[in-house]
Amino acid sequence: MVSSTVDHMVAITVFLAATLLFIGLFNQTIQTAVIYQRHRATATKASDLLDNMLLSPGIPVNWGQTDVSPTGFGLQDPEFTQYKMSPYSLMRLRSSVGEPVYYNATGQWYSNVTMGDRNFMLVPYNLALDYSTATRLMGINNTYGFQLTLTPIVTVSIQETSASPLTLKVTATGVGFPLSYATISYCFLKVGVQGGSPNYEISFNTITADDTGSANINIGSVAAGDVYALIVYARQGGLVGVGYHERVDASKRYVIPFIDSFEDGLVFLAHSYDVHYDKPPESAVFYNATFVLLTEDFTLREMPITQEKTQIVYGHGSDKTYENVTIPTHNPGILVVTYTSNNQDGVVLMPWGLSSLAFPVVFGGDPSQQEWVATDMRQVTVGGIAYQAKIAVWSLEGYQVVG
Amino acid sequence: MMRTIEVLIVIIIITGAFIAASFFAVLPWPRQVSPVNLRRLAFTTLQMLDSNYELSRAAFETDNYTIWGGLQVALSASLPPNVIYNLTVYEVTGETTQLYTFIASISNAESLGATSDASTYMVASSNVTFNVIPEKIGEHDGGGTLYILNCSDAKGWWITGYTSHSLAQDLYNLLSPYFHETVMVQSTSQFEQILNNNTLQGETVQNAVVINTCGETVPIPAGDYATQGSANNYAKYCYILGQRVRQYNWTWASIVGYPFYYVSNAALFAGQQNTYGIYGMLCVGQAGINAFLQGLDGQQYSYNSGGITSSSQTPVNLLPNILYYCNYYGIYPSPSQTSTRALRTTILNGYNLTLGLDMFSRFDSNYIPGAVYRHKFSGATDVTGSLLALGLTRSPDIRLTALGILSYYSPRLYHSEYTANGTSRLVVLQLGLVGGV
Repeated sequence: MVSSTVDHMVAITVFLAATLLFIGLFNQTIQTAVIYQRHRATATKASDLLDNMLLSPGIPVNWGQTDVSPTGFGLQDPEFTQYKMSPYSLMRLRSSVGEPVYYNATGQWYSNVTMGDRNFMLVPYNLALDYSTATRLMGINNTYGFQLTLTPIVTVSIQETSASPLTLKVTATGVGFPLSYATISYCFLKVGVQGGSPNYEISFNTITADDTGSANINIGSVAAGDVYALIVYARQGGLVGVGYHERVDASKRYVIPFIDSFEDGLVFLAHSYDVHYDKPPESAVFYNATFVLLTEDFTLREMPITQEKTQIVYGHGSDKTYENVTIPTHNPGILVVTYTSNNQDGVVLMPWGLSSLAFPVVFGGDPSQQEWVATDMRQVTVGGIAYQAKIAVWSLEGYQVVG
Repeated sequence: MMRTIEVLIVIIIITGAFIAASFFAVLPWPRQVSPVNLRRLAFTTLQMLDSNYELSRAAFETDNYTIWGGLQVALSASLPPNVIYNLTVYEVTGETTQLYTFIASISNAESLGATSDASTYMVASSNVTFNVIPEKIGEHDGGGTLYILNCSDAKGWWITGYTSHSLAQDLYNLLSPYFHETVMVQSTSQFEQILNNNTLQGETVQNAVVINTCGETVPIPAGDYATQGSANNYAKYCYILGQRVRQYNWTWASIVGYPFYYVSNAALFAGQQNTYGIYGMLCVGQAGINAFLQGLDGQQYSYNSGGITSSSQTPVNLLPNILYYCNYYGIYPSPSQTSTRALRTTILNGYNLTLGLDMFSRFDSNYIPGAVYRHKFSGATDVTGSLLALGLTRSPDIRLTALGILSYYSPRLYHSEYTANGTSRLVVLQLGLVGGV
C-alpha cells in the first residue's frame, strides 16, 4: 500500500516536472515562429508603405507646389507615372535630422536642410508636413512607425587642387562603382563687385570623366582670392547626379534664404546677423539674386528674377531686416544669391525643387530605439536625378523578442 | 513502480515529439525574415535607367560599345555592392514559334548566388510609335471616376498571399487608363468623405466605380458610420453602403468570396477580432450582403442572417463573350476558376436586379458564380447602382475584377499601330544577393 502511494507520488511529481519542462520548450519554439511571422508582416508592411508613398501623388495631386495641407499623403510627381517623385512634395517634408531654425522677424520655425556652409533649404513649419500628420494620412498612426530616407545615388565630390590658376577635381561615384567616362556638365559662377554691389559672370561647359569617374576643370580667369560657385551634373547610362562647391570669404555677414510660399515662389532673404540674434547695428549686405534653370539635357540656363531691392539692412531704424525675391517657375532650378558686405564677398545656393542640388531627405521617426525594424528600398528619380528611397518600418504594437 | 515506468515512457514519447517537431520546424534564414525586395529593386532600376530613354537606346544599340559600356557602368554604380546582376536583352519577334530571341547580356558575376529575382521591362525603338487610346468610361453619360479602396487602416480577408495595397496597385495599372480619374482611397476617413459625397481631388463621385481590395472585408470609417451602422454586428453599416451605392449610382466591386462578410477598422476594433484571431476586424456574417441589397433596393432595414450563397466548390469557366474581352483588352486570367460563394438567383427578383454581365458558366441553375448585378426599380429606366460580385475562392485573381469592369462598360480602344516586328525588345534584369546567409 505504501509502495503504491510512493509510486503514485513519484510518478505524478516526475510527470508534472516533465510537463512543465516541455511546455517551456514548446513555448520557445512557438514563440520564435510567432515572432518570425510578425516580423514578416512588418517587412511586408514596409514594402507596401514604401510603394504607397512613392506611387501616389497625394491629395491634392499638386500639393507640393501649393501652400495647402495635403489630405492624402504621396510623393509621386503628378505629371508622370511610376517611380518619379515630385521635387516639391519632397521639399515640403519636415526634416528629422536638421536642427530647426527660428527666425524672429517672421515668428516662425523652419525645417532645416543645410548642406556645406552656405547651401540652405529652410521651409516654414506651417508648410512642412510633419511625421504625425503623415502617419495619420496613411492610416498607420499608433500601429506602425517609419522613417523615409532619400539619398542621391551618385555622389559628385569637388575638390580644389590649385587656387590660381583655379583647378577643380570632380569625382563622380555611384553606390558601388565609380561613374566611369561620365559626361560632366558644369556651371561656373564667378562673383565680382561693381559700384559696391555684387555682380557675377556665368560660364557653362561639358567635359568627359576618365575611367575612375574623375575630371579636372581648369578656370584660368580666377585669382586666389576670388569668390565662385561651381555646380556640376554628371551622367552616364541613364544615371544622373549633382555636385556643387563654393569659395567664399565672408564668414560673418551673409544672406540666408527662407522659403515663404511654394505657390507664389516667394523667398525671403535675411541678414545672417538677424537670424543668429547678434546685436545690431551691423553692416548691410548687398546682394544680387539670380535663378538658374535645369534644362532637360541637364545643362543650366539663366533666368532673370524680380528683385525689388538689392540691400539687406539690419538694425538701422525701422527698415525691414529681410527682403524678398520671387521665383517665377515651378521647374526645378537653383536660386543663386551673390552678396558683398564690407569688402567680403560670397555666394549662397538654394535648391528650388529638391533634386536640383541633390539634397537628401530624412523624414519620419527615429528607428534607433525600436525592437525590430524592417527595411526596403527602391530606385527612383526626382526631377531626373537618381535617388535611392529607403524605408525603415517598425511596429508600435509592443511585442517582445524572446531568445 | 509501474506508474513511474509509465511516466518515464510518456516522457520518452514527448521527448521524441519535441525532437521531431524541432527537426521539422526549421527556422528560416535571417535574410528571409526581412528580404530586400529584389524584384522591385530590379524593376525600379530598369525604370530609372530608362527615365531619359538611355536604356531603350542601349537595348537597340548592343553593338555600340560606348553606349553598352555606359549602361554597365550605370548598373554597377546604381546597385549596392552586395547586389550582383545579369541584364539580358531579347528581341521580340513573333514571326516564329520562338517569341524571344537572345540579343546580348552583361553580368558582373558568374552566378547569382542563393537568392535572386528578376524583373522584365519592355523597351521600344525610337523609330516607332505605339499608340492605343482607350475610350474613357463615363465619357458620354457622366462619371468616369474609379475609386480603389486601399485603406491602410483596414485589414483584408480572403486575399491570402496578397495585401490590399498590392492588389490596389495592380488594379491601378490595369484600369486607370480607362477612367477620367483614378483615386486611391488611402484611409477609412477618406472613404467617409466620398460616402458623404465630398470629392478627394475634384473627381465626380456620382456614377463612380468603387473596388474594394480588402476581399470579404469592407472598410468602415470611425464616427458617424460606425455609430449609425453598429446594429446587428454592423450589418446596418452594409445597409447604409447599399443606400449610398443606389444614391450615387456606384458600381461596387467585391473581388472575392462572400461580399460584406466582415467590417474592418484597425483603430476602431483594436481589441476585437473576426473569430479567426484577426484583430481590427468584426464578423458581420451572411447578414452583410442581405443588408446591402436591402439598402440598394431602398427597402426597410430588417436583420436577415439567412444564407444566399452556395458554398459548393465547383469549377466554372469564363463565358465566350468574356473570353472575347480577354483578347480585346489583353487581360488573360485563367479561363477556369473555382466557384465557392456563388449568389442565389432569387436575389434578382427579390431586389429588382438584372444581370448586367454574366461572367461564368453555371454549375447549378440556381446560383451565379460571378456577375454584375444592375439595380433598376420596377418600371424605371435608369440604373440605380450595380454590384460586381465574384464568388470565387481565394486567393483572388485581380485581373478578373478588371476584366469584369471592362467587359461591363466595354470602353473602345483606338489603335494607331497594331504590329511592328523588330521594334520591341525585352530587357530582363536579374539580381542576386551575395554575402551573409
